[in-house]
Amino acid sequence: MSDLRVLAEQIANRVKSKTDEYIVKLSLVKDLMVKYARGEISVTQSWKTLRLELYVAKNGRIAVSSFESENPENLVEKACSVLDFLKPSPFYAPLPEPSGEPLSYVDRNIVDIVESGDASKQVEEINAAEAGDVAGKVEFGHTATTLLGSNGADLYYEATSFNGYLRVFRGESSGQWSWTSTSYDPSLARRAIDTASHLADTCSKLPKKQVKPGKYRVLLSPMVAANLVEHIVSAASAGSIVFGISFFAGKKPGEKVLSEKLTILDKPRDTSLPFFRGFDDEGVATHDKPVIENGILKTLLHNSKTAKVMNAKTTGNAGWIMPHPFNIEVLPGDNSLDELVEQLRDGIYITNNWYTRFQNHVEGVFSTVSRDAVIVYEGGKPAYCTERIRIADKMPRLFSSVEALGKELWQIEWWEVSHPTRIPHILLSEANISLPR
Amino acid sequence: MSNPDPSLLQKAIDLMQSSGAEYAEARYHSLKRTTILMINGVVMGVEVSAQSGIATRAIVNGGLGFSSATRITSEDVRDAALRAVSAAKTSSRGVRHGVQMGPGRLGNARYSVLERRKLEDTPLDSKISYLSEIYKVLELEKNGFKVSNTTVIYSETIEEKILLTSDGAFIESRVPRVAVMYNLAATYEDKRANRFGEVGASGGYELLDSFNLQKRISDDIESLYTALVKARSPPRGRMDVVLSPEIVGLMVHESAGHPSEADRVLGREAAQAGMSFRTTYKEDRIGSDAVTVVDDPTIPGSFGFYLYDDEGVAARERILYNHGMLAELLHNRETAAVYGVESNGAARAMDYKSEPIVRMANTYMKPGTYSFEELIEDIKQGIYMKKYMEWNIDDIRWGQRYVALEAYVIENGEIKDPVTNVALEVTTKQLYSSIDAVGKDLVFYAGLCGKGEPPQGVPVWMGGPHVRLRGVTIQ
Repeated sequence: MSDLRVLAEQIANRVKSKTDEYIVKLSLVKDLMVKYARGEISVTQSWKTLRLELYVAKNGRIAVSSFESENPENLVEKACSVLDFLKPSPFYAPLPEPSGEPLSYVDRNIVDIVESGDASKQVEEINAAEAGDVAGKVEFGHTATTLLGSNGADLYYEATSFNGYLRVFRGESSGQWSWTSTSYDPSLARRAIDTASHLADTCSKLPKKQVKPGKYRVLLSPMVAANLVEHIVSAASAGSIVFGISFFAGKKPGEKVLSEKLTILDKPRDTSLPFFRGFDDEGVATHDKPVIENGILKTLLHNSKTAKVMNAKTTGNAGWIMPHPFNIEVLPGDNSLDELVEQLRDGIYITNNWYTRFQNHVEGVFSTVSRDAVIVYEGGKPAYCTERIRIADKMPRLFSSVEALGKELWQIEWWEVSHPTRIPHILLSEANISLPR
Repeated sequence: MSNPDPSLLQKAIDLMQSSGAEYAEARYHSLKRTTILMINGVVMGVEVSAQSGIATRAIVNGGLGFSSATRITSEDVRDAALRAVSAAKTSSRGVRHGVQMGPGRLGNARYSVLERRKLEDTPLDSKISYLSEIYKVLELEKNGFKVSNTTVIYSETIEEKILLTSDGAFIESRVPRVAVMYNLAATYEDKRANRFGEVGASGGYELLDSFNLQKRISDDIESLYTALVKARSPPRGRMDVVLSPEIVGLMVHESAGHPSEADRVLGREAAQAGMSFRTTYKEDRIGSDAVTVVDDPTIPGSFGFYLYDDEGVAARERILYNHGMLAELLHNRETAAVYGVESNGAARAMDYKSEPIVRMANTYMKPGTYSFEELIEDIKQGIYMKKYMEWNIDDIRWGQRYVALEAYVIENGEIKDPVTNVALEVTTKQLYSSIDAVGKDLVFYAGLCGKGEPPQGVPVWMGGPHVRLRGVTIQ
C-alpha cells in the first residue's frame, strides 16, 4: 500500500464519524519547469507538493476544503466543523455509485527527469535549435492521486506530462507555438521552435501595415482556436448555466448552437493528453463524449449536484462544485494548411491570442487580442503583417461561421489554454475585427 | 499550526551556500483562507483552506533555481534546498548573462497588520448572516427587469511569511485580508448583461462595515437596470470623455503599472504576460502634464499592502509616470542589477510555490484639483463612462479597450441620457496624452493581478480620480 493511500485512509478515518459522506482526494505532484527569456534560461523551478482536497456532507450540508501543509490530517476537523454553521444546500445530492476505474499512464523518462531535476537533454535540444531570441517554458510533471470516498470509491491514478510553449523573436516580429503530451519526446519542443520561427520569419520578411476595423475572413491557428474553444466547452458546463455565466443558458441538448462543421469532444479516456482520468472527483467513471456534434449541443457536463438541479444524470465531469471538461478535441476537416490559406483568399491569419474577456457571458459577447504573427492575405498570398488586432464578436455567432477545418491536429496547452486541446486550424467566414482609433 | 523556527530556514540557506550557491534565500509562506460561496441568497458551500510550505532560491554560476516543498521536516527542507541548487545548475547551462541580485535596502524586521476584530475569532455564522442580510434587501425585480443570478463570494486570508536571505535580510510578517467578489446576471426582455464587482482591503472583520456592500451591490443592480432598460446606443466618433475612478484605476493598472515592470521591459515575461512598450519607446513623454501615476505598497489598509517585499527589500512609493513623463520602473533585485539601480521593493510571490517576481501593489493616478462638475461643464458633446463590463490590452500594453456598461451622454455641460456598450479603444499614448484635467477625488478598487509561470495572482488596489479626455474616438 502506498504512503499516499495510507495517509488518505488516516484522513478518511478522522472524518468518518463527523460526516454522512466524504471524499478524500490526496495528490503528490512533482514538477520541473525550465523557463526561457531572451534566449537564455531565466529560472529552473522544482516543486514537490502534497495536496489534500476534501468533500464532506452532513444532513444535506456541503463543505469542501483544500490543504497543502505539513500535517493535513490535523486540519480536517476544522473542515468538518464548518458543516455545523451551514443550512442544507438546495444543490445537495447524495454521492453517486463509484463506477470509476484506475487509469494511469506513466512515462518513466519523465519521472526520471522530475526526480533527478536533470533536464539537460532538453536544454541541449533547445540550445541546438539556435533559434536566437527565445522565450517560454518546458515543463515535466508527475502526479499520483488517491481518491477514497464514503460511497465506496477507492481509486488511484498516476500520470506524467510534458508540455511547454516557446516564442521566437525576429526583430519586431515574433511567433509562438506550444505542445502537450503524456510522453517525453524532445523533438516536440524543437517542432514548436520551428513552427514559431517560421511564423516570425514570415512576418519579418513582409511589410507591416495596419488593417482597418471591420468584418474579415479569418483563419485561426490551433493556438487561437484552442483558447476560444475552451470557452465554448466551459459554457457547456452545467455549472456555468446554473451560475448564470453561460451563453448556452436556455439551450437544450439537441439544439443547433454552432456551425454544423464543428464537433468538439471531451476526452477523459485519451491517455495521450495529460488531463486523462478514469474517474471524476466523485469517483464516477469518465467517458469520452461529444459536447458539440456537427454544431448541435450534445452534452452538458454534469456532476451529481448540477444533474439533480437540471434533472439530468452525471456525465462523470465532477468537480465537486463545478463540472469541468478533461482533454478537449476538435475533430479535423480535410484541408491542408495551404488549402485553408487558399480558401481564406482575402483575410487574416491570426496565429496567437490572449486576454479573452467577456462583456456579457450570457450572450457570449467578448473580445480577444492577437499577439505574435498576424498575416494578412490578399488573393491567397501573404501580403503584409499587421499587429495586435482584436476579434470583438459574439462567440455563438463567430463559431456559426466555420467554413473549413484543417486535417492536421495539434496538441496545445499554454498560458491561455489550460485544458490540453487537440485541434486543427479553423477557417471562419466572418469575424469582427477592431483596433485602436 | 505554528510557524517554523527561523533556524530551519537558516539551515536551508547554509546548505545551499555550502553546495555552491552564490546567493540563497528561504521563505516560509502560509495562507489560511475561508471562502463562503452564496448563490441567490443560499450558501452553496464554505471552503476552508490552508496552504503552507517552504520556498528556496539559489544562484549558481549565474543560473537561478527555485524549489518548493509542502512538508517542512528537516529532511524535506534539506531536499528543497538541494533541489534549488540543482535547478540553478540546470539554469547555468543555458545562461549567457547570468542572474545577479542587485542592491536594495534589506530589512531586519517584523511587522503585522492589526485586526480590530480578529477574523479567526469571528464565528462563521456571523459572516454567513452578514451576506444573507445583504441579499434580503436587494431589489431584484422591477418593470420586467430581473436579476436572474446573484453570486457573492466572501474570502478572508491570513498571510504569514518568514524570509531569510544569505546576504542578511530577515523579515517576518502577518497580513490579514478580507475581500468580497460578486457577479450579477440580469435580464430585460431579450437583453442580458453581467456585472462583476470586487472589494478588498487588509485588516480584520471590521472591514466589512467599511465595504458598504449593500449600497455597492444595489448601485450595480441599478446600473444593470439602466443599461438594459433605459440606455440607448451611444453616439460614435470623436468627442470628449470623462472616465470614472473605476475605469481610471483599471487603466493605470493595465497601461501604466504593467508596462513599468522592469522584468517585462527586459523580456523575462515575454512568452507569458508579454513585454512592454517601454522596451522600444523612444520618447520621454507618454502623457500630458496632468498625468502622474504611482504605485505604493505602504498605503495602510490597502489590499496590496506590504512593508518589505519577498526579497527583503523595504517598500516605498514608486512614481511611474511623472507629469506625463516616463519615470521609474518597478524592480526586484534581479532587474535592479541589470539596470544598475537599487531595487525599489516590488518583488512579490503569491505563495510558497511561487518565485518572487516584479509586481504592482497599489497603483493609482494622483488626484488633481477639479470637481466633477468642473470636468464636465465645458463639454459640448461627450460621454461619461461610469462602469465597465469588458476590457483588454495587448501584450506590450499599448492598444487597449474599455467597454462601459453604464455611461451617459454629456451635452452642454450636463449629464443627460444613459447609454451602454460604449467602447473606447486607444493606444496608451493617445489615452494619457488626451487627459487635460484630473479630478480631486480618489477611489481605490480591489483586484487580483495575474502574471508569471505558473500564473500568480496577487492582491492589488487600483484607483484614481475622475479624469477628462479631450477628443478621443468612441466606437
